[in-house]
Parts: sequence; structure tokens; C-alpha cells
Amino acid sequence: MSRHLAWFFLAVAMLVVSAPLQAVTYEVGGCKTGASYVNFTTISAAVSGVPAGSTIQVCPGVYPEQVTISQPLTLKGITFNNSSRSVITINNPTGAPLAPNVTSIEAGPVYAQVLVQNVIPLGSVNIIGITVDGTGGGAGCPTLAGIFYASGTSGTVNEVAMRHQLTPGCFFASGNGIWAENGASLNQTITVENSSVHDFDSTGIQAISEQFPSTLTATIKGNFASNFVDVTVQHDRAQGIQNIGATSAIMDNFITSGSGNTPSTANLFGVISYPDANDDVGNVITASGNTVADLYGYAITSQQFGDTAKSNKLSNVYAGLVVFFAVVESNTVMNTSQGYVFNASNPQCASEGTISGNVVNDSSLAFFGLPLVQIQKNQVDSDDVVQMSPQCP
Amino acid sequence: MYKHWILSLLTAVMIAASTPAHAKQYEVGGCNPTLPQFPTIQLAVLSVPPGSTILVCPGTYFEQVMISQPLTLKGADVNNQDRPIIAASPNGLAINVTSITGTQVAAQVLVENVTPPGNVILTGITVDGSLAEVPLSCPPAALAGIFYASGTSGTIRDMTTRYQQLPSCGYGIWVENGAGPNQSITVENNSVHDASWVGILAQSNQTPPTLTATIKGNFVNGLVYNQTSDITVSGIRGTITGNVVTGGLVGITNAGTDASPVTISGNDVADISIGVGMSFGDGSTVTSNKESNVYTAFLFGGSGVSPGPTVAGNTTQNTTYVINYNCIPNVTVKSNTFNDSEFGFLEIPPANSGLGVNTIDNIDTVQTSSCP
Repeated sequence: MSRHLAWFFLAVAMLVVSAPLQAVTYEVGGCKTGASYVNFTTISAAVSGVPAGSTIQVCPGVYPEQVTISQPLTLKGITFNNSSRSVITINNPTGAPLAPNVTSIEAGPVYAQVLVQNVIPLGSVNIIGITVDGTGGGAGCPTLAGIFYASGTSGTVNEVAMRHQLTPGCFFASGNGIWAENGASLNQTITVENSSVHDFDSTGIQAISEQFPSTLTATIKGNFASNFVDVTVQHDRAQGIQNIGATSAIMDNFITSGSGNTPSTANLFGVISYPDANDDVGNVITASGNTVADLYGYAITSQQFGDTAKSNKLSNVYAGLVVFFAVVESNTVMNTSQGYVFNASNPQCASEGTISGNVVNDSSLAFFGLPLVQIQKNQVDSDDVVQMSPQCP
Repeated sequence: MYKHWILSLLTAVMIAASTPAHAKQYEVGGCNPTLPQFPTIQLAVLSVPPGSTILVCPGTYFEQVMISQPLTLKGADVNNQDRPIIAASPNGLAINVTSITGTQVAAQVLVENVTPPGNVILTGITVDGSLAEVPLSCPPAALAGIFYASGTSGTIRDMTTRYQQLPSCGYGIWVENGAGPNQSITVENNSVHDASWVGILAQSNQTPPTLTATIKGNFVNGLVYNQTSDITVSGIRGTITGNVVTGGLVGITNAGTDASPVTISGNDVADISIGVGMSFGDGSTVTSNKESNVYTAFLFGGSGVSPGPTVAGNTTQNTTYVINYNCIPNVTVKSNTFNDSEFGFLEIPPANSGLGVNTIDNIDTVQTSSCP
């Protein structure tokens, strides 16, 4: 009998232990109902109402909200009834809809549509399969961001769509897609992958740290940035992916600015990396396997010593690779005005470093600022001028 | 003494054997006086022994070139320049070939009637169609930068074709084969841009196909706001891999007969109306391509025979339609990632749709418009 009793208690104990596996699912939008679902009417109510570490499923539909996430969780768009688009929009596209809700370490007040900030307890915030639409958010010329990971936060953005973060008629362009930064804090890791970022006028995806060594390690991988434009008065520059002082791997992204988009000057950038405002050097990027095309401007620009650009394909752009000093290997550049531009003000030009196995075909000027001995390690075809380097031997 | 004689004879034989490697190099343009020289490319390709290499110096050559023997025509890198340009003569171009489809073509560089049979290799030269004039009405006549006619084979590598821009009839690179032995042509690592009709065309009118084409690593930029098809194959066997294809109307098209399986893999396609169009091509595969900022990523047509094409492992983002099935059955669609589209699948057939498991995110309407 006592043995039976022991078995009984064991069974009860197992039920108690396994109970969390049958936990409720948190849901927004009302497409999933029943005893196993806890429903919320808004995303904002859900992200503050669920236990830390939860997954929130967001039904297809339109959510006019400004969302702040301050605990670790996963926000995931789901497919229901022939749709898989859960879209966060500006509350009121005709008015002054957003509040400034975060101060960037680099750019002052930011109006973020989805803000990840002050996450307690520490943990990852993951955003998956959600669309963030900034239509109307440019009224009043704010610095607009679709998703913003503030200092001290970490997580993954996967399979999201950012669109229409635009500030038309404003003096400076300030519509941004996905923005991740970290200041003086513990090191953070943020991954942005497989996401679609389009119709913005400042930056599609950016990673910023102003510390040395960098406190932000970013992986920006497999994203598609397209159709970015400059609709502002100043004709400020716009860029697909930007790195400022962070340590980033920027790989396998596909960046195009759209056919026929030729602003008055070549001020579009595919991937751009430069030191932070403190001019800290040593926080480097690796840009590899990216394709950049159809862009009146510069495909990959590195103003940071120590960056690596490898196996990228660059086509139908004003200039292919613009680099100060870097490892530049196995890239292919075709149909450009300038193929590879190196920092000719460096007294040694780019006589050091690894610059080999690159192809430049069909360029008005293949190499600027690269000594002949380096050029010979690369392949040139159908270029009007191979080398222009007044300071280089 | 006898041994020395043998040695000197051996040396003479070795010199004789190695001599052709040098003797077979010729030059056009005057930049390398150590080689036998010709004043024009046309004169060189007519005069050199078969199998020779002709180096073409940087400069502009207003010529229409016809190559009828196996050889290599190669751009030279001299004096900080490496762009030899074959440009259209101000006096206009002559119609110099009739294609297997009957089109009368003015080809800037024509490879035809190659005797003895052998490969013609073109590398490192720009073919520029600016200001080209074609004597017949266009269409149906046409302008082509490079044309490999029936019965020819070879490689087009590291070339540039540009500005073949006559309305509705400008082709960058055109390769074909009709009745006769099978031919293989490789088109790789070229820059093809601003053609008004087709960037790269490979076609055969035979069943089974008589042309195997490898179209690889090219960068094709279609003319903006025009009807350009960037890469079109019709009735051939072959592979279309690792190309960057942007701008125009259609990115990659496989048209022709059912028995012309083609592999379309690892291409990057953007800024275009239709990414990949498959009119025919049973057994064709479309894998691991990326498409971005495209109105319709995949469009199908044709007879719907089984097995039809397989579409797997592709990623599309920022599209209006992912797949327009056009009610064609037996198209296998699996393991793809489709993100950020207004519509997913248009006119999906009621039976044998072949729709497997894919990753779908941010699509407003997954399926739309039914078939009868």
C-alpha cells in the first residue's frame, strides 16, 4: 500500500513538473481562442502583461500602436485565414502620431515605432514575422525608426518587414528601418536576419556603438534592402546598412535602391562603415557575400581601418568599393564609374594589406589609390583606365 | 659526338614544338610591336592560323567583325588601359546573319561557319552598340552585340556588351544552334547592360535540344523602364547560375519546348517586373535564387506536363506576387522563404498544385484568384 502511495505522489509530482509544458499561449488579435489562449487586444498590453520569456503570437491584422518592450520575450506574427501579415502602423497617419520615446547615443531623440529598452530581467527580445509600416510617421520631421534596440538590450530580429519610414519634404532625411545601438554598458549581441527593409530615406539597418572596444556585436545577415530613396530637401545620403563603431558581420545581404532612382548626386550607399563620433578605431566589420546593385552611389564604403570586404558582388553602381585600409578579397565589380577606390592620402597608399583576387570589369576607372604591385594581384577587363593614383608608385 | 648530335636534334625538336605557342599570338592596334600585327580586327581574324590568339589593344575599332575559324580574341592591358571597344561604324551595320527563327540580324561580332570546327573564345573586349544603324526595319530585323550562329561553340568571358538599344530589337549576347551536332557555349563573367530587348539569349529549335549553354556569373542590367528580358533561354539544355540580374521587364526566362530542362540556381534578381518566368521546361529546377523588389517573383506557363519544374530553397522579399501559377499544374514549390508580399500564390491550380511546405511571413493574402 505504501508503495502505491509513493507511486501516486510521484505521478502527482510529475504532473506538477510537466504543467508548464501545457502553458497557455499568449495571443493578440483574436484569431486564436479557447482555454489554452490568453488574448490581448493590443500588442502593447501583451508585451507588458505576459510573464518574462513568453512568446506572443500576433494575428494577421493592423495594429496602430507605438510599442515599448521592456522584458525578454518573443513577438511573432502568425498565419491565419489566408494572411500572414501582422502590421504595426502609425496611430494616426494624418496627425502627429508618435511620441519621442528614446534618446539615441548618436542621434538625439528618436520616434521609435517598436522600442526595446530597459529590459528587466536581462534577456533577449526577439521579433519575428512582423511588419512595421511608417506611413505618415514623417510628419513634423522626426528621427523615425521602425524597430529600435536601445543601449543594454539584445535579441534577434528575423523575417520582419520594414517599410515607408520616410520623411518627405524635411530638410534632412531621417526615416530609418531597424536600429540597434549600445553605449557604455555590458557587451550586447543583436542579430538582424532575413528581413525586408524598403522605402526608407535614411538607413535601412544600422548598428552603433560609441565605445572602444565596441560594446555591440551585430550580425546583419540575409536581409534584403530595396527601393531606398532620398525625398528630403537637403538630399541627404541614404544607406542600406550602416555600421558606426560596432563590431559587425554584414553578410549575404541583397541591397538595391531601385531602377531609375537617380538623385541629383551620387549619395546612396549600400553598406557603409565608419568610426563613431569619438573616432575610436578598431571596431571593425566584415562584409562578405553581399550583392549590391542598381544604386547611384557607393556599393560598399569602409572608412574604418581593419575592415574586411570579401566575396561581394557589386553591379550598376557609381563606385564599387571605397576603402581606407582593409582586407579586400575576391570581390567582383561590374558596370561602374569607379571600381575600387583606396585611401590615396595614406602615404603608403594601400601597399599593405590583402587586396587580391578581385575582379573589375566594365569600369571607367578600375582602381584609384592602389599601387601597381597590388593591382597585379587582381583581374581587370574592359576598363577605360586601370589605375589612377598620383601618389602611388 | 653522336650523342651530342642527338641532343642538339632533341633541342631543335623541343624548340620547334614550343614555337607555335609564340607564333600563334598576333596583335591588333600596335601596342605590342613584338607580335605580328594587323591594322583591323577583321583582317586579323581572317588571316591568322586556326587556334591562334589575337590580342586587341585598348582603343576603339569601328568594325563589324565576322569570325569563321577557331581562335581566341582577347583584350590587352596596356598603358594603364584595358578597354578595346568594338563600336558600330558610323556608316551603319550590314545584316550579316539569319537566325534559326528567321530574324535577320546585324551582329557587331558574328561567329559563323567555323572551319575547321573548334571553339571561338572572346574575352576582355567591350562591344558597344551606341548609334548603331540597321538597314532593315527593326523589328523584325535585329541588332546583336555578339552572335554565335548555328554550328558554333566556344566561350564568351569577361566581355562587356552595352547600348544595343534599337527599340524592341537590341540584343547583347545571342547564341543559338539549329539542326546539326550538339554545341556547347559558355557565357560567363560578362557585364551586359542597356540592351533594349534581351541581354543574353540562348536558343535551339530542335527536339531534343542541340545547344547546351552555361550562363554563369554574369552581371546583367536591363534598360530601365523598357521591355528588356535580361536572360532568356529557349529550347536548350543548360544552367543559369550565379548571375546578378536587375532592371527591365523579365529577369530570367525559360521558354521553348517541354524537353528543355534548365537549372536556374544561385542568381540574384531585383528591381524588375517578373523575376523568373518559366513558359516550358519540364524537369527544370529553380533553386537558391534571391529575388528582391520584384512585382511577380515566379510566373509559370506552358503545358503543365508532369514532372514540371521544381522551385526550392529560394528567397523572395518585397514583392507584389510571389508566384503566378497561371493555373499550370505540376509545379513543385517547397522549402522556399517568401517574406513581405502583397499576395502569395495567384491562380493556383485546383489539382496537382505541388505546393509543399514553405516559410511564409508578412504576406497580406496568401492565396488569391481561383482557377476554373
